[in-house]
Amino acid sequence: MYKKTRIFDLNYYKFTGSWAWILHRLSGLALIFYLTLHIWVINTLTKGPDKFNNVMDFLNSPIFKFLEVGLWGVILFHAFNGVRIIIIDFFKGAISHKKIFYIFIIIAFVLWVIGGYRLISHIQWVH
Amino acid sequence: MAKENIIVKILRYNPEKDKKPFWKKYDLEVDDDSTILDILNEIHWNIDGTLAYRRSCRSSICGSCAMKVNGQNVLACKTPMHKFKGNKLKIEPLPGFSILKDLVVDMDGFFEKMKRIKPYLILDKPIPDKEFIQKPDEFECIRESAICILCGACTSSCPSLWANEDYLGPAALLKAYRFIFDTRDDGKDERIDIINDKNGIWRCHTIFNCMEACPKDIKITEYLSRLKVKVLENSI
Repeated sequence: MYKKTRIFDLNYYKFTGSWAWILHRLSGLALIFYLTLHIWVINTLTKGPDKFNNVMDFLNSPIFKFLEVGLWGVILFHAFNGVRIIIIDFFKGAISHKKIFYIFIIIAFVLWVIGGYRLISHIQWVH
Repeated sequence: MAKENIIVKILRYNPEKDKKPFWKKYDLEVDDDSTILDILNEIHWNIDGTLAYRRSCRSSICGSCAMKVNGQNVLACKTPMHKFKGNKLKIEPLPGFSILKDLVVDMDGFFEKMKRIKPYLILDKPIPDKEFIQKPDEFECIRESAICILCGACTSSCPSLWANEDYLGPAALLKAYRFIFDTRDDGKDERIDIINDKNGIWRCHTIFNCMEACPKDIKITEYLSRLKVKVLENSI
């Protein structure tokens, strides 16, 4: 008798539901990472204004602005897919789960573009 | 009837000789309306008699021939090869189960879980002289869940089960739904206690692989979500 030890069958075909689940898990991990970082940044407040201002200067560089746009996308996906899961579990959404997924993805994408534009539009580009 | 050349890769494993399963390639010519089972039969009868796989009714009611083809769990007898594009097929045993030989997997755990949720009518009331009366809409509620053929395609496709083999799995939970929502049954509380467990209904993360895999097109996740609501209502 042969027993597979791997915990995830990677070459199993990924349907819409699988992608939603995988991305939900990954975005959850990304959010945990962000929140840890966020608490660390807030923590520098206790070390006096100079230290805090230094950290904030560092975080105001363009690269972090773009990372913020990415973070906004991760938050949107996790939030909208979370609502989708609640609809599936408690409001009979299981039959039309794919439709709900694509509608939510479109809404999240529109919000991502609008919010993302607002996050980076005020950056003064250095020439 | 037109003939077609196809390349079939099958995951072979002989417990007496091999340490690990390996891929074996077969080139063959089959009718273009063949099912996956026809192809396996062709290989078994005319090319390589050592290939082991389960089959019986070849009309999608016995549930023997569930296997993974091109990354999806299907019932071999029900699936035409043209469901998959191109002329290449990759056939593997069901994932998540132990392999006994070639495409034959160990289904003991699957049926053990099925027994755990008590898949029979539990009665407190006396048995009536004639039949149990059931209204059409009461039956409609369980009609679809009762046609499950126990092929194991859903349970084997579930990522929650791959990660935790003690998880009851969609098939057993669907069976639980079939009895919990049966108006004739009196064992609801007993069964709800069994599925309201750390390896029970709450391991369902609505990934929908089971619904995609089910050869009988049962809306499994929909019924499991109704079960979740029922379990919650019961514990309030």
